[in-house]
Amino acid sequence: MRKFLIFLCLAICWVVFLSAVVEMPPFGDPANITNRHVVPRYLEEGVEEGGASNIVTGIILNYRGYDTMGEVTVIFTALAGVLAVLKREDVKTSTTMVATSPVGPSLIVTTVVKLLIPFIVLFAVYTILHGDVSPGGGFQGGAVFGASMIHYTLIFGLLTYMRKIRLAVKVPLESAAILSFAIAGFIGLFFGQKFLTFLMPALSHEAQYLLRHAMLLLIEVGIGVATGIIFGSIFASLEKVERI
Amino acid sequence: MLWRLDIILLLFLVATALGVYVTKDLMAASIIFSAYSLTMAIVWQQLSAPDLALTEAAVGAGVTTVLFLITISKTVRRED
Repeated sequence: MRKFLIFLCLAICWVVFLSAVVEMPPFGDPANITNRHVVPRYLEEGVEEGGASNIVTGIILNYRGYDTMGEVTVIFTALAGVLAVLKREDVKTSTTMVATSPVGPSLIVTTVVKLLIPFIVLFAVYTILHGDVSPGGGFQGGAVFGASMIHYTLIFGLLTYMRKIRLAVKVPLESAAILSFAIAGFIGLFFGQKFLTFLMPALSHEAQYLLRHAMLLLIEVGIGVATGIIFGSIFASLEKVERI
Repeated sequence: MLWRLDIILLLFLVATALGVYVTKDLMAASIIFSAYSLTMAIVWQQLSAPDLALTEAAVGAGVTTVLFLITISKTVRRED
């Protein structure tokens, strides 16, 4: 009976979703409403208005800035939720997988990780800083940065990781994304424009261009650093809990 | 040629998704899930979305898998 009910619910969902898919405009049709108004505007004026030669970055940080600001807040809230349930890592009680495992890390693994980490971090920095000219940006670079920290922690343990990045440094950096977004948003208010606008008609063309690039860079670096540190913090607070 | 590659990738996606559902060993399931994410990253690249491909490869295949493995190592490995 229970299985039948589950199956029935799934079947109803399936029919509803399929009918929604049938109603969708055909993929790639130039007559779609989005292709007639939104896409041409992005493609023709995106570089000029968005300030980034990579149009995706321009759309994410400029046209849909509010949306991205919300996403950044979601990541921060996720960290807050994890910390509320699991609590932050503690130097005194923290153990690591390596410390508790009967076999220590092998020489090959430690050497390879030591050699690879600088290159992974370099790639992360490149991805963050080149977000406005090539694919990538704050989220992507930050995720790579966070993954590099996680790998370091997996091999060398939580204690060395926490000695490298102290809690007093970590806590402000976790909110760097929202902070940089807010700062970049308030720049518009000082010029008599709306919140989070990138267009300042009061300035000359060159000054506008420079300011736009500076704002993009500020937001990208903020998002990148915060995403990386938040991933590291979530991992560390998960790793800390003793075996139940 | 590329169209055929897409078909293979999509079939592999379905196979890995079913594999995650069927597998009772959670460790194996999370590793199959990371294979799913990696394939998904290639599919994003095929759909000309390199931004998403980067995110999927780093978050889906890297960070999420590690978080799953950590959670499994703190709890039980088998699904009841």
